[in-house]
Order: sequence, then structure tokens, then C-alpha cells
Amino acid sequence: MTVMNTAGRSFSMPLGPVHVALEEPVYFHLTVEGETIRKVELTSGHVHRGMEAMATQRNLTKNTTLTERVCSLCSNSHSFTYCMAVENVLGVSIPPRARYLRVLAEEIKRVASHLFNTAIQAHIIGFKSLFMHTMEVREMIQDVKETVYGNRMNLAQNCIGGVKCDVTPELLKYILGMVDKMEPEVEEIRELYTSNSMVLGRTRGLGLLPGEDALRLGVVGPVARGSGLKMDVRKDSPYAAYPDLEFRTIVNDGCCIHSRTTVRLHEIFESFRLIRQCCERVPDGATTASMRQIRAAEACARTEAPRGEVFYYIRTNGTDRPARLKWRVPSYMNWEALGVMMRDCKVADVALITNSIDPCVSCTER
Amino acid sequence: MIDTLLAILHMTIFPGGIFALALGFFCKGLDRRVEARLQRRVGPPLIQPWLDAAKLLTKETLIPKTACRAAFLFAPVFGFTGMAVCAAFIPVPGVYSGLSNMGDLLVIFYLLPLPAMALMLGGSASSSPFGALGFSREMLLMLAYETPLLMILLSVAMLVGKNLGAESSGAEFSLLRIVAWQQENGSLGFNPAMIPALLAYLIFLPGTMGVAPFDIAEAETELLEGPLLEYGGPLLALFTVTSALKTFVVLGLGIALFFPGTISSLWPVNLVWFVLKCLALMLLSLTLVKSATGRFRIDQAFRFYVTIPAALALCSLVLAWVM
Repeated sequence: MTVMNTAGRSFSMPLGPVHVALEEPVYFHLTVEGETIRKVELTSGHVHRGMEAMATQRNLTKNTTLTERVCSLCSNSHSFTYCMAVENVLGVSIPPRARYLRVLAEEIKRVASHLFNTAIQAHIIGFKSLFMHTMEVREMIQDVKETVYGNRMNLAQNCIGGVKCDVTPELLKYILGMVDKMEPEVEEIRELYTSNSMVLGRTRGLGLLPGEDALRLGVVGPVARGSGLKMDVRKDSPYAAYPDLEFRTIVNDGCCIHSRTTVRLHEIFESFRLIRQCCERVPDGATTASMRQIRAAEACARTEAPRGEVFYYIRTNGTDRPARLKWRVPSYMNWEALGVMMRDCKVADVALITNSIDPCVSCTER
Repeated sequence: MIDTLLAILHMTIFPGGIFALALGFFCKGLDRRVEARLQRRVGPPLIQPWLDAAKLLTKETLIPKTACRAAFLFAPVFGFTGMAVCAAFIPVPGVYSGLSNMGDLLVIFYLLPLPAMALMLGGSASSSPFGALGFSREMLLMLAYETPLLMILLSVAMLVGKNLGAESSGAEFSLLRIVAWQQENGSLGFNPAMIPALLAYLIFLPGTMGVAPFDIAEAETELLEGPLLEYGGPLLALFTVTSALKTFVVLGLGIALFFPGTISSLWPVNLVWFVLKCLALMLLSLTLVKSATGRFRIDQAFRFYVTIPAALALCSLVLAWVM
């Protein structure tokens, strides 16, 4: 009987590919000794959709729609980066109004994504009320998305040369009002996550990723910043309207699950600042630039998605279909860090640690 | 003969069996409803536990190929029988005084862990690694919460025994006499010496019922219901029925130990009063706690139980000894 094995020897435990704590399919083969994990093996590839090949069979415009569907939570970042790459390859520069509106959409998505991840953390530690409360607050930003862009997940805001949806002054005022309403609510959530002993007891000092390991594994986004690495594409190689806007890069050197959550929660406030600045400073003018003739060239672009750096590479051959479209997503880099984080952790912490890198399986496997 | 028939009636109709099940399911329905309201949700209708159980009864019984068949089938029956018998020992003050008049507190103490043991048995027989892990967690948790429970029962028995003096020999283990003494001399829940024991009992409740923050053995997001993972259909329904009966038993025991006061000489009024007290106890110790906490890790839960409730119960035990 299996029970006999728990006494001293190790036994194997499957986690996934279908598991309540995992939002997306990934398979962990855990070797467990009592409650302690001795070995973790990861297998993925359950939701591979062959999107890079699909991209070479569609024209540049259609690919905006395709890339937006790579992932749900950072959908805007994908089409954003893709459009930037295409604009680079065509040599188009987008009008100032479009720069601001792109940042606006990006930051709205970032708030929703970070709140979602923190809510899931509460769900995993079984704190249902906190989960419900966080999701309730997130619902406000969902309303903003729906009111402004007409969609709750995929905003369809980016297009090659600019943005599709022009945000009217009334809508800008509405966004500002909603941000004012949300800020105290998120402040309350931040206080809960940083002071509740139940949450702290399950997250602080667990899932450690020391700074040197973070550097060695090349992790990005909140995972890197939670391990004390100051890296943010928005600051390191500013794009769109980011050079003209003020915001801080949040860094926390706790290296644990809690520090990554703290980074995300603080970043929400920076996103609020950015949304406010965008609403106030957005210049008048055109929202799109005109297309140019497609030449044979290659270009790349990178942006800071909610989970970290997204990188797009495109090569065109003079036709309207790209010869190659390749992208690297943040979860691909953060994935390897799980091996370090899960060293000798408890079974109870596996799902928590996985959630702390905010994994996006559909991005990674596309 | 009449006694045996009466005992069977007490196990099947009142207070065990149908009444206990109805109250247990009502508690569970109310619990879900109130929790939902606390989270600004609507929540399921009050009869949802009945509907769930009825649905499970219509489903097929699946037994894993690698499972130990006999133990797998026996486990839920074992837990259910234990609780069905135990429910008959619970007095309903002013209505029903319990199945026996001597030592029934000890019987209850022995019967109470049976559902947890059934869960352990079923989990280990299911041959699933989640069941095995749930087994070890349930066992640790049980060791942790049974210690304070024993001390709570002892302190109540000692206090009442001492006050009864010559009529009893030291500690008093008859619930009938414990309840009768309290009805004359005031509820123990208001006795300063017993307040720590009452608090310890309130902390014991979520542990024994396996709800947050102590839903560790069945932790959905870690172990996918652990020992219950392989169960489905009528067998799983039996587990939910057992859990409902256990809700009645632990709440009823709490009322008998700490608040057995009656408000009238009419039995229907006393029955309603008892139900209201049960609901209040449940909302306070299960629903509110559940909606304000997350889940402990097993080591944290163990450390918690062997320190705080154990210290509280010990405090009452010492006070009962010296007073």
C-alpha cells in the first residue's frame, strides 16, 4: 500500500496537468519524502498551438489579432510588442497620441493582471474571502476595460501604426474617476497581504530565489525584481510614451514568495500613476500613422509585460506575410527558477511557489 | 427489549439519525449561505447539501483498480456508523437526556474520532498518493486536536464531580448529571474557570470539522480533497452525511458542556432553543473563522493546537482542580 512508503522512503506524486491550483496545464512529477519535496521534474507542451508557424501564414495585419490571442492576461503586451516590431521593420513612427494611448491600455492590463495573480495566491492558501475581495476590486478595472475598449480581456487596442480606439475626453475622465475609486481599495488589499499573519505565515521566507541565482537563470519581471534585481524594460530601454512619464521601478530583496507579491502590489500603484499621467497629458492629434511599403528586412522589439520582458523578432521578405516571427515570453525565463525555489519545500507550498512566478503556460507553449 | 427499541429509535429518529442529519445539513447550508454573504456573494439555497447528497446517490460507484477494495468500501460505513451511534448520546437539554446515564462522556470521546479514522482508512485504501498524504496529515492533526479535547472534557467532569461531592467519585463522566448540575447551578460557559476551556472548545471545532484554517487533510488546492479524491457516488454521499452528523454531535456536545440552560418547561420551545444555540455556536466557531482565515500548513497547525488550545484547556483543568 502507498501509505507504507510515507514512513521513510520517498514516493512519487503527480501534480497536474489538470489541477485546481494551476490555471493552465503543466505537469509536475514530484518525488516526495513525507511532506518534503526531494525532486521536481517539469513537463509542458500540453497547449502547444503552433502559433509561430501560423504567423507565417497570415499577413501582418491579421497577425496583430493572432498575437493578441497568445495569452489572456498579457494579451495587450503581445500585440503591442508585435506592432512595435512591425513598425521597426517598416520604419514607421507612430503619432504622439497613439504612444500615450498604448501606454494607457498596457497599464490598465497590468493592474488587472497583477490583481489576478495576488487573488490566486489567496485562493491557493485557502483564504477564500481574500480571494473574493481581490477579485471584486479587480472587477472595477474589468469594467474600465469594457467601457473604454468594449472588451474585458483582449482589448484589441493596438494596430500597426498606432491604436484602433480613440479614447475620448469623457472616457479619460471616467478612467481617472475609476482610478481614484480603486486606489484606496487596492491600498487595503496591499495592507492585508503585507500584515495578515495567515498570508505571511504561508509566503514569507518560502520559495527562495537568491539574487545570484536570479541573475544566473536570467529571470525577468516581478520575479527578478522580487530578488533584488533592478530591471524594467520600461526604464532600461524606454519605448512608447514611457520616457516622458514618471514612475519608479519597484525592487524588493526578500527573494521569497512574499517579496514577489509585494513587488506586484506596489507596481499596481505605479500603474495608477502612469494611467493618471497618460489621461492628463495625452496630446491631441492622429491616432495612426500611414503604412509604408513592405521591404525585406528584420527587426525586433521588447516591452515590459506584467510578467516581465516580452521580445519579438520579425523578418519580412517583401510580401505581406512575415518570413519568420519569433517571440520570447517572460514565463519561459522564469520557469527554470522553479527548480531553485522548490528545493526541499513542502508539498503544501508547490502550488504557491508556482503561482509566485505568475506562470503563463499558453504564452510559453503558444 | 423496550430499552433496545428505544435506543434504536434514538439512533435513527431523534436525536440521532433523521433529526441530527436534518440539523447537520441545515447547519451546512446556512454555513455556506452566510459565508457567501460575508464575501458579498449570493450563495446556494439552504437545501443545497440535500441536493448534493441526492445527486451523489444517483451516481455510479467507482473503485480504483489498485485500491484495497474491502477497506475502501468499509471506511465510509465505519465513519457513518460511529457518528450515528454517537449522535444518540448527545442530550438535547429539556427534551432528551441522553442514551445512558453513566460514563457517556468517555463513550463520546472514543466515538468522536471515528469519522477522521474513516477518512484515514479510506484515503490509505484508495492507493492514491494524495490519499496517502491526506492520511498522514489527518493523523497528525487528529493527535493535535484530541489532546485539548481530552483536557476540556476532563476539566468539565472534574469541576462538576467536585461540586457534586459525595454523590460522585471524583470526576463526573455522565452527561446527564453534568447537564442537570448546570441547569441548577448555572451554565459552565459563564463560569470564569471554564471560559478558557470554552475558548479551547471553540478552537477545537474547526479542526475536528476540517474547515479552514484546518482543512489541511483535504486541502483542495494542494491535495485535491486528499483522502476523498477517489471517492464518488453513494460512498462520497455517505461521507457528507457523516460530516453532517458530526456537525450535530460536536455542536450538541458543546451546548451540553457549556450552555445547557433551558428557557421553558415546554419541550418544543426547548428544542427550538437548542437549535438556535447550535446555529449560533456554528456561526461563531466555524463560519466566521472560516471566512477570516486561510489554510495553515500542517506543521503550523500542529504547533498551534499543541500550544494555544492545549494551554487554555490546561488552564481550566488546573482551575477546576484547585477551586
